[in-house]
Amino acid sequence: MSIWSWLNRRRLDEADLQEEIQAHLKIAADERMSDGADPQRAQLESLKEFGNVTLTREAAHRVWTPRWLDALHDQVSDVRYAIRSLAKDPVFALTVVGVLTLGIGLNAAVFTMLKSIALSPVAGVTGSANLSVIYGETSTGREVRLSYPDYQYLRDRDQAFSGLFGTALVRANLGRGRHARQIFGEVVTGNYFQVLGIQAEHGRTLLPSDEIAPGRHPVIAISDGLWRRDFGADPSIVGKTLEINNERLTVVGVVAPAFHGTTVVYDVELYVPVMTAPQLGFKFGSRESTPSAILGDRSAALFYPQGFLRPGVSLANASAHTDALWSTLSHDRPLTDVAPRLRVVPFLRTPGGAPTFALPMLSVLTAMGLLVLLIACANIAGLVLVRGVSRRGEIALRLALGASRTRIVRLLIVENLVLAIPGALLGVALARYSIPLLVETAARMAAPERVFFNIGVDSLVIGFAALVACGCALVFGFVPALRSSRVDLVSVINEDASPRGATRGRLRAALVVAQVAVSLLLLVGAGLATRSVEAAQRANPGFDQSQVTAVGMDVKQNAYDEPHGRAFYRHLLEVVRADAGIESATLAENMPMGMLDTRVQRVAIEGYEPRRGEDLAFMSNAIGSDYFHTLRIPVVAGREFEDRDDETAAPVAVVNNTLAVRFWGSAGSAIGKRVKVADGAWRNVIGVAADVKYARINEPPRPYIYLPFPQAYRSSMTLHTRGAAPVDRLVDQARANVAALDPDLPILNARPMARATRGALLFFDLTATMLFVFGVTGMALAALGTYGLVAYIVKQSTHEIGIRMALGASSRSIVMAFLTRGLRLGTLGVAIGILAALGGSRFLGSVLFGVTATDATSFTRALAIVLGGVGLATIVPAWRAARINPIAALRHQ
Amino acid sequence: MTLHSSRPDARTDLLHGTLDMLILRTLQWGPQHGYAIGQTIRAQSSDVLQVEAGSLYPALQRLAKKGWVTAKWGQTGANQRAKFYRLTPEGKKQLVREESRWAELVNAIARVMKPVAAPGEE
Repeated sequence: MSIWSWLNRRRLDEADLQEEIQAHLKIAADERMSDGADPQRAQLESLKEFGNVTLTREAAHRVWTPRWLDALHDQVSDVRYAIRSLAKDPVFALTVVGVLTLGIGLNAAVFTMLKSIALSPVAGVTGSANLSVIYGETSTGREVRLSYPDYQYLRDRDQAFSGLFGTALVRANLGRGRHARQIFGEVVTGNYFQVLGIQAEHGRTLLPSDEIAPGRHPVIAISDGLWRRDFGADPSIVGKTLEINNERLTVVGVVAPAFHGTTVVYDVELYVPVMTAPQLGFKFGSRESTPSAILGDRSAALFYPQGFLRPGVSLANASAHTDALWSTLSHDRPLTDVAPRLRVVPFLRTPGGAPTFALPMLSVLTAMGLLVLLIACANIAGLVLVRGVSRRGEIALRLALGASRTRIVRLLIVENLVLAIPGALLGVALARYSIPLLVETAARMAAPERVFFNIGVDSLVIGFAALVACGCALVFGFVPALRSSRVDLVSVINEDASPRGATRGRLRAALVVAQVAVSLLLLVGAGLATRSVEAAQRANPGFDQSQVTAVGMDVKQNAYDEPHGRAFYRHLLEVVRADAGIESATLAENMPMGMLDTRVQRVAIEGYEPRRGEDLAFMSNAIGSDYFHTLRIPVVAGREFEDRDDETAAPVAVVNNTLAVRFWGSAGSAIGKRVKVADGAWRNVIGVAADVKYARINEPPRPYIYLPFPQAYRSSMTLHTRGAAPVDRLVDQARANVAALDPDLPILNARPMARATRGALLFFDLTATMLFVFGVTGMALAALGTYGLVAYIVKQSTHEIGIRMALGASSRSIVMAFLTRGLRLGTLGVAIGILAALGGSRFLGSVLFGVTATDATSFTRALAIVLGGVGLATIVPAWRAARINPIAALRHQ
Repeated sequence: MTLHSSRPDARTDLLHGTLDMLILRTLQWGPQHGYAIGQTIRAQSSDVLQVEAGSLYPALQRLAKKGWVTAKWGQTGANQRAKFYRLTPEGKKQLVREESRWAELVNAIARVMKPVAAPGEE
């Protein structure tokens, strides 16, 4: 059989069938005529006997149509019909699409962020969420980094990981002179790029051969971003030298563009072999000073070793294996203050990593996003319901003509899907364009430091949005559709258009109550978030930074050695203090509220025997004279550093109140006691300063030690000046002072101190902004929905209003009646909302600062707004209804 | 027998099957055209079964699609042009299958309708 005839057999020959039917009719008619009937009659009768010719042809046709094609045909006609009927009601269609766009857009945005952090935290690395991280845990539960020798020991013996690399985030100074600036770099082991599977775009990445001996690898790899921004994508970059921390290093390659380092949120632009780190001045808290000794010092905490587990190895296996190695090591080479055990955790739980605080925040946002979606659904359900009522006539007609209920429900659902799909697409577009906005805001807040977010809308997000949209379409469409299809034929056809449908009224009321409840929940969340940001901004960090500048510099960048550096800083303070309008000035190694635990050092307290495994390691800072005065930190006992506490004087220290109270009982009794920081000399405590927030605004009180800068020289310092002039002018003045002293010394950053410490609030700010947006969106949607439903209820009651007014009711009493009804529903919703908020706001605790999750002000505000909204949504339509002419109202039907 | 050819579903499968069997059976005596098939079934059933054209032609299409019958235009005894359906070898096998299934069904129904009569007591 030829293909053609086979194909022919696959379909119906219409003309042939038509001919066959004609032949049938003719034979039948002939038979009748031969029985004696007249031709016309015979033809009519045979036609009558045959039945419906068209139906027969259609049935024959259907035999040849595959069933799915048939169903598709039905669907297409449903979709066509849905579009036609929606086009007739553009306000409804646009409202629904708009509401959906908002709801889906917010959710897609949050989902995108959650997805990026949870599924692919490290850009450019496949399966980066599967990275596992090793950290040491002290007996007090503090997470500590491992030293390089300990890392080597683990790496060489480990069986659980396919490869174990180490990386530590550092700030590096790029260039020399005026144009030098600070960038983020990672000090990495040689196998870093191999384990992560990152290729070089130009040249090569760093390799294990770059990790042979200290000081022998003066090479670096740079990021694609740095290559493009600072070197104009110079194709011959490989082999050129860059000046990093005053060392000339050769660029061996440009890393693949997608890769931004493994430190989430930070935009890493430089990769330095660990063997090169000591000569760049990175000591990792080691007390040793030669490069080989720094890398051999087991007490110098450097990084968290990490890598991918081998196939079939679980976290628990890896933990057990690593712990066994660790106890062998501790046994063979005991060390006094080593972490007693190691932990292996997923990358997302890297101690101090951005995901550890971004994930709780994102889960809160996800919950809020779902609430907004819930409101959107309730909103649309209300609209669909109202529309369904006005379409009762059409539906009744279809039922009367023999359409099945399934068919009608299907049609209504298709109609909802027709609305949901554009909603999903627009929602994705909204997310697509709002995320860069958010990222930009974050980047602006973090400037001049570079941040990077691995966030992008991809097919997973689009799929998610489509799924949510279809889910919504079913949720908001199904119940009302079912309800619409259950039309009482008789009453509709009799044009009895006063549906006393008690159930339908109940559904409407339930929708109002639900929207009110959920919007209250959202508003409480938004209120708590805003209050939390207010509190964080108002919170007293323990110092006053309002009129203080922060100008950072590193004299090593202009080749100062220690004596010259000391002289420079001494001279700088003299010049600045002598300048007009400067009230006081000082120097400090670190700024408070810097987000990071900077310079945590082991501390010995004279006469205090640490318990076994107790770790006495506190943050410390080297500061100049007049520091506490300049930052307005109260000195609660003794005195602060003065110019006489220089390198020739007896070693001294100032401790904070928490440390004084913990070891000596009170601030007063601390004076004259002795402490030792790292391996330095014993120092006399000469003063006790009040606590401030050292790393984060929400940290608990912690011990802290200040050393006088002349007795603890650092090349990199920040100059703080205080004056009465506008702070930006003070910054310019301080900058000019530094430039006057040495025009070639790069100023790493110069800004008001308040802006420099703002990073500590970054996450609170971002979360609060988003929670606020969610709250307002949810409230707007709920208000709109409530207004629509209430207005509809009032409109349905026009007849009732007319009767009441005809009977002498005043418009005031009518408004009151509706207001009471509306507020009754509102109150019920509010009550449910408050209960839910009380239960759910505990969940918010982790992202709040300075307010309790049951903050009365937030609850009151939300309550007032919601009840006000419901009141307004009731009064306006009721008032309009009460103004109508009773005669017109009675004639309404 | 009133057969509406609406959408095929489980309920009408039995009826379709029965009509198909009757058509195949009718064609066993030689090729026939559509009208004649209807008339034959009617006459054979002593006017009890009346096959509507609306059922007959879709059924013929169905059988043709399955390859149990083939169709060819020809002349009737009265010199009328008509499309004649002929049983294929495959159709013959199908008829045998249908007949045995039918017999089973009738037996089963008979046993239900006369439960007292023990099997083999016919």
